[in-house]
Amino acid sequence: MNRLKTSRNTQQIGLVFIAPAMILFFAYVLYPIGYIIVNSFFEWDGVNERIFIGAKNYIRMFKDEVFLLSLRNVTYWIFLTIFPQMLLGFLFAFILNHRIFGKTLYRAIIYMPAIISPVVIGIVWQRIYNPFGGLLADVGLKSGLLFLVKPYISDPKIAIFFVILVNVWQWTGWSMLLYLAAMQSINEEIFESIRLEGTSKWQEIRYIVWPMVKSTHLTLILLGVIGALQTFDLVYSLTNGGPNNSTQMLSTYIFLRSFRLQGMGYGSAISVFTLALALVLSLFQIKVLGAKFQVGD
Amino acid sequence: MDFDKNQQVTKILYIGLIIVCSLVWLVPILMMLSVSFMPPEIRSPNFGGLFLPRYSFYNFALIFSEVPMLRYFYNSISVTIPSVLMVTFFSSLAAYAFSRLRFFGQDLWFTLLLLTLMLPIPTLVIPLFQISKNLHLYNTHWGLILPYTALGIPFAVIILRSYFVSFPRDLENAAKIDGCNPWTIYWRIMLPLSGPSISVVIIWQSMKSWNEFLLALITIDKNSLKTLPLVPLIYSGQYMSRPGAMFAVLTVMTLPIIAIYIFMQRFFMSGMTSGALKG
Repeated sequence: MNRLKTSRNTQQIGLVFIAPAMILFFAYVLYPIGYIIVNSFFEWDGVNERIFIGAKNYIRMFKDEVFLLSLRNVTYWIFLTIFPQMLLGFLFAFILNHRIFGKTLYRAIIYMPAIISPVVIGIVWQRIYNPFGGLLADVGLKSGLLFLVKPYISDPKIAIFFVILVNVWQWTGWSMLLYLAAMQSINEEIFESIRLEGTSKWQEIRYIVWPMVKSTHLTLILLGVIGALQTFDLVYSLTNGGPNNSTQMLSTYIFLRSFRLQGMGYGSAISVFTLALALVLSLFQIKVLGAKFQVGD
Repeated sequence: MDFDKNQQVTKILYIGLIIVCSLVWLVPILMMLSVSFMPPEIRSPNFGGLFLPRYSFYNFALIFSEVPMLRYFYNSISVTIPSVLMVTFFSSLAAYAFSRLRFFGQDLWFTLLLLTLMLPIPTLVIPLFQISKNLHLYNTHWGLILPYTALGIPFAVIILRSYFVSFPRDLENAAKIDGCNPWTIYWRIMLPLSGPSISVVIIWQSMKSWNEFLLALITIDKNSLKTLPLVPLIYSGQYMSRPGAMFAVLTVMTLPIIAIYIFMQRFFMSGMTSGALKG
């Protein structure tokens, strides 16, 4: 009895071990969530007394064209980032999983954009996209491929797609890395046994490699969806949501409303919406599809 | 994996494809470097400045007299190092408890921590800004260190916990018989033996803290306290018509990271793969 009690006491020390992590979690995650929920029912400029307005912020949201535009852009972002990035990342990983001279170098180059600050990347790509003497426009003029001369990120109709393109460029190396890790854990004997049967590379991909890295596909989709909801830096530095709000994302719109237009109540309502969307979409993928945050495991 | 003798054409195709793609991938980075060496008399270079007729160090000389780059590096370092240390210490403590001890509400606490991974950080900017103001952390580096630590811990806990769980129990049992308490087991056995996954956490969190932009944007208003990612914004007006100078700032910001990356590539790669979470 006595022994049991002491062992229970030593176990409760676990609470002390997790205390620093949990205190920070309560202060910087849980309290903020409560804060935006409460705050979303008020009108508040961040300085004066806030005024309770019920659900008006939420009603306003669904009549707000810029909000709906941001929602549309997030949808584009989810589909046009995740799938191209998966396909390209998979392709690069598959190639670089072979014995090829200099593969470490290729790997390093393709991954490199992921370690650079998105703010830097945004400014560099502004210059690439510049229709007057930018890289793509000049290539177009000199080679006669005139379709390359266009106002990539200053035309509201197409700007979002070219922001997404930069994002794909930046993060493809990262999905390549995850796929490589997964491919390297596939047993080499499997390949040897099928090679005896004379399978083509395409069959190798189709029937072995692609299905065997399924958990990586799921992880990439899960993280891609959350990524689309929280991407901020690149959009902020490349277009700042413009022109005419055409590249506004939920994240940048929250920032614009709360910090530039002094609408901390309305900003909170958009935050709550975004948060709920992120939770629903991630929980669905985790519970129903079995997606995980960590590859392997 | 290897190619068969009858797959030589495929092999050449693969190599060709990967060389072309790597070159395309490099273009923006080469462009950043090239433009930063652009002499001031060249106003509108061909191809946006990817190739120049002449290169000069003019822009670097200029920004080193006008931009206190060392100060910004110092700021970034003094935010990154404490947050990395705190994330490593607090998360390894928690991961040890979650994997080895049994205590009140264990699963609930763990699930709550996991919740953080599903939260888009921009949804929390309003309260995080208010917290900084109320705790008088606005315009201080601690106003960044604390939230970076809080937001970095959950993922580090996952990585370390899965490592601890796979850890053989024999050593600990022996230590327990010798009368070691949980703290000694953590400090003397678990921590020293978890080098690989600790280094994953360190690399991962260093990248996160070093590149973090949004919280820095709302927390630091004073130029002398700003971290590196905010620097291009400070000079975007001043260097509007001098892209060479602006790109020199970008290059100086980025080169050390690329150098560290090339130097420790193997570490980075394994760190980033186990750290399957992007910013």
